[in-house]
Amino acid sequence: MAAHARDFESTYKKPGNTLFQAIIGGEDPFDFWAGPFYVGFFGWVAAIAIALGVITLFIAVGQHGDWDLLRATISPPTRQYGLGPAPFLAGGDWQLVVIFATVSFVAWGLREVDICRKLEMGFHIPAMFSLAVSAWLVLQLLRPLLMGCWCEGFDLSFTGHLTWVSNTGFRYMNFYYNPFHAYAVLGFFLTAMVLAMHGSAILGTYNTDRNPNVEMRREDSFWRDYIGYSIGEYGIHRLGFYLVVYTLIMSDLCILTSGTLVKDWVEFWHPF
Amino acid sequence: MAVIIPRVPEPVEEPELSSQLVADPLGFPLGSPTRWELLRNFKVDTQIGTIWLGFWGLLSVLLFACAGAIIFLAAMDQVHGSPWLVVKYFANLELEPPQGLGIARSLREGGYWQLCLIFFAGSTIAWAGRCWETLHRHRWRPYLLFAWLSAILLTACIWVFHPIIVHSWADAPGLGLNSDLQWAQDFSVLWGNFYYNPWHQLAIFFLFGSTMLWGMHGATILATSSEGSHHEDAEIKNLTSGSMKAALFWRWTMGFNAMPKSIHDYLLWFAVGTVLASAMGILQTSTVTDDWYVWGVDHGTVQQYGPITRSAINQWPRPMPTMPSSGAFEPAPGGR
Repeated sequence: MAAHARDFESTYKKPGNTLFQAIIGGEDPFDFWAGPFYVGFFGWVAAIAIALGVITLFIAVGQHGDWDLLRATISPPTRQYGLGPAPFLAGGDWQLVVIFATVSFVAWGLREVDICRKLEMGFHIPAMFSLAVSAWLVLQLLRPLLMGCWCEGFDLSFTGHLTWVSNTGFRYMNFYYNPFHAYAVLGFFLTAMVLAMHGSAILGTYNTDRNPNVEMRREDSFWRDYIGYSIGEYGIHRLGFYLVVYTLIMSDLCILTSGTLVKDWVEFWHPF
Repeated sequence: MAVIIPRVPEPVEEPELSSQLVADPLGFPLGSPTRWELLRNFKVDTQIGTIWLGFWGLLSVLLFACAGAIIFLAAMDQVHGSPWLVVKYFANLELEPPQGLGIARSLREGGYWQLCLIFFAGSTIAWAGRCWETLHRHRWRPYLLFAWLSAILLTACIWVFHPIIVHSWADAPGLGLNSDLQWAQDFSVLWGNFYYNPWHQLAIFFLFGSTMLWGMHGATILATSSEGSHHEDAEIKNLTSGSMKAALFWRWTMGFNAMPKSIHDYLLWFAVGTVLASAMGILQTSTVTDDWYVWGVDHGTVQQYGPITRSAINQWPRPMPTMPSSGAFEPAPGGR
């Protein structure tokens, strides 16, 4: 970073104004940085949860006896255990790792809130991160709870999660007929297209003129000539943000409805 | 204790445009700029228009309209000329590709599909010409043209190159809502499960990565736009407090941060990488690999629940598979 940016950092890199203080009050013993990383109370929680999860994962993989990076698998318990606890090597390892991962995800989001408070900026990033975590919660917690079995969660491994995706698609006949899946795929494709347009606009125009306002006008006049409308340098970020929100909500709905409300997405379109 | 480093406002000048590549009598803006106040509620720019006409733009729109007209006429033909039935069976109507690689014997046996695709291909290529000309006139670097050509490459791989390689137009998707969904499933199963195609996996990585990066970038800019981080061209020249906060946020969160220019490198290449990886996935299918499940077994990316014998999964030579026909609107054996 440039010199004036380092001076800028020192004005904000100070203790105080954390969630811990806002809720509990008094001194916050966790309010410090480790190298570039902000730690904080939720940083500690996340670090401990990540460490426990990784240790559990290594113990379980060692017990299963296959260290191949592709094949090493932490699988959910089989159907006979339902929503109860399973023995360690029969899915209990999966249950522990999912618990630790969930705790670390939530703590990571709250740590982002702390950082936003310190930098006196908006809370858009932790909000978006929470929405991304909702996909994990739906897949590994909410849908298994609704289906009455932890066996509905996906395997934590390279080959295992591929097979889970493939099997889940075929299990409900043809996942492409799932309307929420179609809306989510549309969202993903639109996101990529708008992303390419935005990236091209900035990479295509930066430092083409001494005056940045001229470069900004060059972007506006280009899009007006090209497609008749320029959404503007602020508007494009709103469009991208809400496209991602839409995509994530549709993704959540697509897996939440499969198996709980709808068993066959082809028959879904022929109800009578 | 907010520290705001303001940018000295620059005088607003109109950008100089380059002259057209070729003198174009159609090269003029259509309409006049109008304000659509409804858009103010969404906090986006309210100006609609003008739009540049240009030879390539007009050509592209006309060819696209022809493709659309052919789809409508083919749909009308399938429901005996009733517009109401076109609406009723909109999802199920489709233009089916012909069998074999030649010219279709009749409109109903794939001719509609071939005509429509020719017009559609012409439209997208003409749009590339419009893209090139507009980029030149506005003195942009040609990243957008590269992205558009990448998208054309993927559609060409699906609708043209792959059918030519397997010697049958029938391997390409039919044009219709239902047939599009069914093709995605059939094509995957036909080549042994596309989930195990590593290019498909890479494309999904880039696609989900694009969405993740848009979420991160969009949220970062919206969170710091009160200090002007959305003036990205200006921020690339001279960092102000908004972009510094954005950089500090990611540095404190994950120990690493992009900068106003470099983030757009990541954004563009993740989006373009999606289509390029997809194109590679289509091209390697049938030329080098005819069963991605077997490929996965060979390379250890398939989770095996029990022993899989090679003789059971891979018998060489295998017959060339052909796409199943949906049979929804097959002409009767004796013709209609």
